[in-house]
Amino acid sequence: MFPAFADVPAYPLVFVVFWGAVAFFALAMARHLRIFAAARAEGPSPLDDVPARLGGLIRYAFVQTKMFKDPRAALMHWGIFWGFVLLTVGTANVVTGGLVQAIVSAPFDGLLWAAVLAMQNIVALVTIGAVLWAFERRLIEKPARLELNVLAVPLRSLPAGVLEVGFAVMWWTHMAVVSAFLLYLPGSKHLHIVTSFFNIYFRKLKPRGELPAMDLEREDATFGVRTLADLGWRDLLDGFTCTECGRCREQCPAWNTGKPLDPKHFIMGLREMSVEAEQGLPLIPNSAIVRDAYGLDDSVKPERLMKPIVDAAIPYDAVWDCVTCGACVEACPVLIEHVDKIVDLRRNLVLEDSRFPQELSGAFRNMEGVANPWGQPPSTRTDWTKGLPFAVPTVAELAAEDRLGEIDVLYWVGCAAAFDDRNRKVARAFATCLDAAGVRFAILGQEESCTGDPARRMGNDYVYQMLATGNIETLNRYRMGERTIVTACPHCFNSIGNEYGQLGGHFRVMHHSAYLRELISTGRLRVLDDGPARSVTLHDSCYLTRYNGVIQEPRDVLASVPGLELREMDNHGRQTFCCGAGGGRMWMEETRGTRINESRTAQALATGAEAVATECPYCMTMLKDGLEAADANLGGAVKAIDISELLADSLAPVQPGSRALPVLQ
Amino acid sequence: MKLVVLAKPVPDPAAAAERLGPDDRLDRSAAPNVINGNDEYTLEAALQIADAHPGEVEITLVAMAPANGAETLRKGLAMGATRGLLITDPALAGSDAWSTARVLATALKDVEYDLILAGFDTSDGVAGVVGPAVATLLKLPYLSSAAKIEPDLAAGTVRVRRISPTGFDVLEAPMPALIVGTQLLGTPRYPSLKGIMGARSKEVALRSVTDLGLATAGDGAVGGAAARTTVTAKRTPPARGAARVVRGPAADAAKEIAAFLAERRLI
Repeated sequence: MFPAFADVPAYPLVFVVFWGAVAFFALAMARHLRIFAAARAEGPSPLDDVPARLGGLIRYAFVQTKMFKDPRAALMHWGIFWGFVLLTVGTANVVTGGLVQAIVSAPFDGLLWAAVLAMQNIVALVTIGAVLWAFERRLIEKPARLELNVLAVPLRSLPAGVLEVGFAVMWWTHMAVVSAFLLYLPGSKHLHIVTSFFNIYFRKLKPRGELPAMDLEREDATFGVRTLADLGWRDLLDGFTCTECGRCREQCPAWNTGKPLDPKHFIMGLREMSVEAEQGLPLIPNSAIVRDAYGLDDSVKPERLMKPIVDAAIPYDAVWDCVTCGACVEACPVLIEHVDKIVDLRRNLVLEDSRFPQELSGAFRNMEGVANPWGQPPSTRTDWTKGLPFAVPTVAELAAEDRLGEIDVLYWVGCAAAFDDRNRKVARAFATCLDAAGVRFAILGQEESCTGDPARRMGNDYVYQMLATGNIETLNRYRMGERTIVTACPHCFNSIGNEYGQLGGHFRVMHHSAYLRELISTGRLRVLDDGPARSVTLHDSCYLTRYNGVIQEPRDVLASVPGLELREMDNHGRQTFCCGAGGGRMWMEETRGTRINESRTAQALATGAEAVATECPYCMTMLKDGLEAADANLGGAVKAIDISELLADSLAPVQPGSRALPVLQ
Repeated sequence: MKLVVLAKPVPDPAAAAERLGPDDRLDRSAAPNVINGNDEYTLEAALQIADAHPGEVEITLVAMAPANGAETLRKGLAMGATRGLLITDPALAGSDAWSTARVLATALKDVEYDLILAGFDTSDGVAGVVGPAVATLLKLPYLSSAAKIEPDLAAGTVRVRRISPTGFDVLEAPMPALIVGTQLLGTPRYPSLKGIMGARSKEVALRSVTDLGLATAGDGAVGGAAARTTVTAKRTPPARGAARVVRGPAADAAKEIAAFLAERRLI
């Protein structure tokens, strides 16, 4: 009947054992989907930008680019992944009564099938090697991010049946393992072999720095996320896709400084909650007729998903430990979005329960009352310009004289540079660079408000939207949508560039590192030929590198400063380690674990650099504090300094009359 | 139980834009208005009483202010107060603490209450007498400097913990009574979005001088005409000197700060 398996005793039983397991697997997966269906009906559309989605699938699922940040783990995983895929050809043949063989044998007189068989043997060896390596990592090497999954051990050790202990036993053992794996799969971390393709296909295509939009006028809405029912299906899929590899937690600054936030357990917790919500649901749902006729309603009621996520999947404190630096998202090989969910939890706590660390109350009130988290009077917003040898006009002044058309750029100063003493110096340095390059610029002055970024990241979208709509109105009133906005604050940069669009504000915004680089490369800004030899290390801002891909620009600015040698920290570029102030943490006390800024300061000092260059006002404050507190920084010799300050110190003297005629155009 | 909280709209002190107008009166248009900080503490105390007796407590915010004060009161309604009552009339301009207390007391005659809560003082006037004056005019027991307020509805009494230089006294009075609170009552809550949305549809009743049966001239006069105090001179306070920042290891810094304070006999 099945000539290819004539030597297998009781071969037809395969159709019961294997296909029975397949049926169970399919039903268990369908049960997951019933929970997904009970969640908020929001999620990405499969047809939205198909090329980008397919491209992502190739990049992240098949080539697995994210894995190659750890090349050893990547090679090991490649061995198992491709082994699994290719060996599945053999398994598929076995469970279909030789169907694959029948098809593949047809051309080339069976040569192709012979090749497949030969390949199977080689692949099996490679796979066994990779599996042994995986054991070595878990049992001997033991990277901290991995926890040995005991269930996996007996299954993983038997993929190939290489031990020569009787063909029939091994053959059926193989079949039993494959079937058992299918039974085990739906509730395990290994489910990622199925779900990661979907998770990657349905990845967030919007800018990473764009948090989900919120409609605050919907009276029936739950604001933010309280329970599983408030999550979208894509969020639940994240839970079922987590491979428990722990790369997120390995990179998380909160976890690394001993705080309760563990991004890995948060996502695992969401999966556990989903599985818990399934408890008691029959594998085969009753049909509509049965439900109506006998009242056996086993449909998934929203009550099943009503357990609050906070203090189930993630401790309350941990929700507030997140600096929204995105290191977890960057690290995740299967594109799980941790940060958006954490902010959504904050939104619910803030907007519905008014439950947040007490110190945030002041920041919220300040942003609401005087439009800046520092709580400084708006009348002092332009104090930083006092004493500069050139005038810094406000947009309103220019508009009054009908001279608004003259400006090249609007300098968005940001609250930090306007109110914080140290960062005021950065504003002065940057303005000096603009002036030296002959750039005609203006500021909004008292008409500028906080962009709302800290409020938004702290979950207070109400205050964010209030500030953002005000700013958009102001910018549109002066038709700034037609001009370039330049800012030295990565948080303002991200909000204006990536988030204001949700509220109808579309602006072209540049970070000062990019703008300064442009001024240098076009020759408008001229630096001295010589400078004292010194070394700096560059602390990358999360909101520039990971969120917006601005990595090379500040390095190019530093390279133009004469005598400067850049010494990179291990964690730089997209792998940067947060200063500790993102996500509104600037306005919270850091009482749990050790201080993130001190950890980062130690990394900076380890380079032996003579200064720490920054490109963000929050980072400036955090590293300045860290350097002042560091015992290793003898006499406070190493200081934090913004890239624009380093540049301003090296500017060639402006020749009289040159301003009207830029050197190069 | 019915609670009244006196909640005055004042220019936001954080904006540092308090200015005197040409008539030597506070220019209330120079800065955004907020509910006086100390009044928020007593409102918080009222809200805590309401939380402890769900469904049994109504809180009415009462204020005398220009018409835009209604929007300011909504902030208190967003925190959880039930309704607002704003006495507003151009004739009230120029009121001093005494005439304000008289207007409030008159308005409160038409309001049912078991307790009236007032803040310690206001950030704009800083007189600190309106609360006690209202108590006097309404002939109510007056309990001051409250750090804790415990009403006993069954017994019809209220017990207050009054802070004193040496600790606290426990005072008890029959209700209705007027209590002046302190910041020890608890940090004012931050309104939830549902609270903010809900506040939009809450009632803020407006009353004019005529509604209250007060006159603009003669014995029943209000506003500047009835003020018993006048501004005779004004001066800008000297700019604050630069702060001295103590740096160094915590142990050394603490010693230095202690020495600094000891030198000035502050500790």
